Amino acid sequence: MTTVTLPLPPTGTGRAGIRHVIRSEWTKLRSVRSTWIALAVVVVAGIGLSALVSSIEAGRWAGLGPADRAQFDPVRFSQTGVFLSQFVVGVIGALIVTSEYSTGSIRTTLASMPRRTTVLAAKGIVIAAAVFVITELTAFISFFVSQAVLTAHGAKALPAGSSIVTQVRSPVIPVVTITDSGAFRAVFLCGVYLTLLTLMAVGIGFALRHTAGAISLYVGLLLVIPLVIQILPSSISGSIEKFLPSNLGLAMVLVTTRKTDFAGVLLTPWAATGLLALYTAGVVVLGAWALLRRDA
Amino acid sequence: MIEAVGLSKNYGRTRAVDDLSFEVRSGVVTGFLGPNGSGKSTTMRMVLGLDRPTAGTVTVDGRHYHDLKWPLREVGALLEANAIHPGRSARNHLLSLAQSNAIPGARVDEVLGLVGLDAVAGRKAGKFSLGMSQRLGIASALLGDPGVLLFDEPVNGLDPEGILWVRTLLQSLAGEGRTIFVSSHLMSEMALTATDLVVIGRGRLIADTTVDDFISSNTEATVLVRSPEVDRLAGVLTSIGASVAHRGNGALLVTKAFPSVIGDAAHTAGIALHELTPQQASLEQVFMDLTSDAVDYHGGAPRTIDEVPS
Repeated sequence: MTTVTLPLPPTGTGRAGIRHVIRSEWTKLRSVRSTWIALAVVVVAGIGLSALVSSIEAGRWAGLGPADRAQFDPVRFSQTGVFLSQFVVGVIGALIVTSEYSTGSIRTTLASMPRRTTVLAAKGIVIAAAVFVITELTAFISFFVSQAVLTAHGAKALPAGSSIVTQVRSPVIPVVTITDSGAFRAVFLCGVYLTLLTLMAVGIGFALRHTAGAISLYVGLLLVIPLVIQILPSSISGSIEKFLPSNLGLAMVLVTTRKTDFAGVLLTPWAATGLLALYTAGVVVLGAWALLRRDA
Repeated sequence: MIEAVGLSKNYGRTRAVDDLSFEVRSGVVTGFLGPNGSGKSTTMRMVLGLDRPTAGTVTVDGRHYHDLKWPLREVGALLEANAIHPGRSARNHLLSLAQSNAIPGARVDEVLGLVGLDAVAGRKAGKFSLGMSQRLGIASALLGDPGVLLFDEPVNGLDPEGILWVRTLLQSLAGEGRTIFVSSHLMSEMALTATDLVVIGRGRLIADTTVDDFISSNTEATVLVRSPEVDRLAGVLTSIGASVAHRGNGALLVTKAFPSVIGDAAHTAGIALHELTPQQASLEQVFMDLTSDAVDYHGGAPRTIDEVPS
């Protein structure tokens, strides 16, 4: 061994910043197989489940009463896969943080970028961008596949300017096009919903550090808390339920009626989006606080 | 240069590092020696800004780690060899580190070659042996060509050839004028590798010196003497002020007298000597004597300080 190290070219001015850490985090994200498996599940299960449910619902149309027909929502059926995807993206979001803590590589990461909020921001930006692209793609493909499935069952587009009343009285299964009122917004907000949840999982990951704990809390927020609240007297539960993350997600994709038999009248799509973004910001701030305050 | 001033760290009620002050100069290898759990890793984490000191400060070339513009280009560190996602390849692991400090990608292959991992660069780090993980950790420390390098127990898990390689590497890095701070719980390893020595026990500074001074000032000169007339010789040596301990089989262990003095005294008294051997106390023994009241957990005792708190 004659030379130990070859000197690096000088960096010039500036300092390591978020754009460097973003590149670094992207390399980390793409270089483990679990990322690709998880994203593949989001795409395949997302489209598959939505197509399946659309097909089942189309078969039930003839036997539905007016109330059920009012809630027959071709857009929402086309996004059924979200129910599964929300758990998959949560696991990815939590794991990109907790796997660093379980291996100890978080110390390497923080030594390469001692300004810790920059690390959190870079991780958040990279995973949010990846999930956003994949989930939007999935949402729109699901939409078109599902409408095709409905059409194959004999569905027809309702006349322009039609309302819930038209839908309830319609003899044929309704189908929507992406330009119909609210359809584009609903499909687009599916990706937004999943992206916000991913970021929430990142925040939980930084706050708790342990994979099992972080995923449990995340699943608890989406599945367990709604169940607990349903046990409460309806006078209490009725006023809380529409503010739960899962029901905010539902509110974001509804285009027919916002009246539900389990959570009362849901928020408007944009109000729901805003509130979920607020929740997410709160959890991320909590994670940042833990990251800054605790030893690595 | 690394400079610690009054560095202390509490974990709950346990004081892991206690008012530690020392300087690590550039151009030589400085050994950081202490028993397991004495606070070496905690100290290194504080140098890197990973753990916040309860009191005191530590700076690298006069600056806090947080203020470094390109941390990996200024300080390289090997903390835990296995701290890598098991599903990521060695090359991608290094590439992600390189990107975080705008280090050219070509440098990744350079350091992989340097540590002899070029053939397995694409293999998942989870499939690496401990020795290979250590080499990968060393590669990541060298990635930014930094002037200051910290190695926490770098020879753990290495075979003899690997140990020799690390020793040579550390010395040649120091020879290039870099600051090399390397921890170990093995005195013998430090004696071969280091020039300067910082010794701690229970988080407290025990010695801040050079290896040579440390050995000579802590080793009492002892001479092993054999003679057919061991009892008479013992009397003679005691009378000239030496201390004598019988070792059986006609052997004496003599302190407080040089071999020449012992030989002359025996000659004057007409006593034949069969052996006259200067002894050097084993370094491990010196180290253990020095740190014995500073060891937290002898076998079976409850553990009070966490070397790596989770």
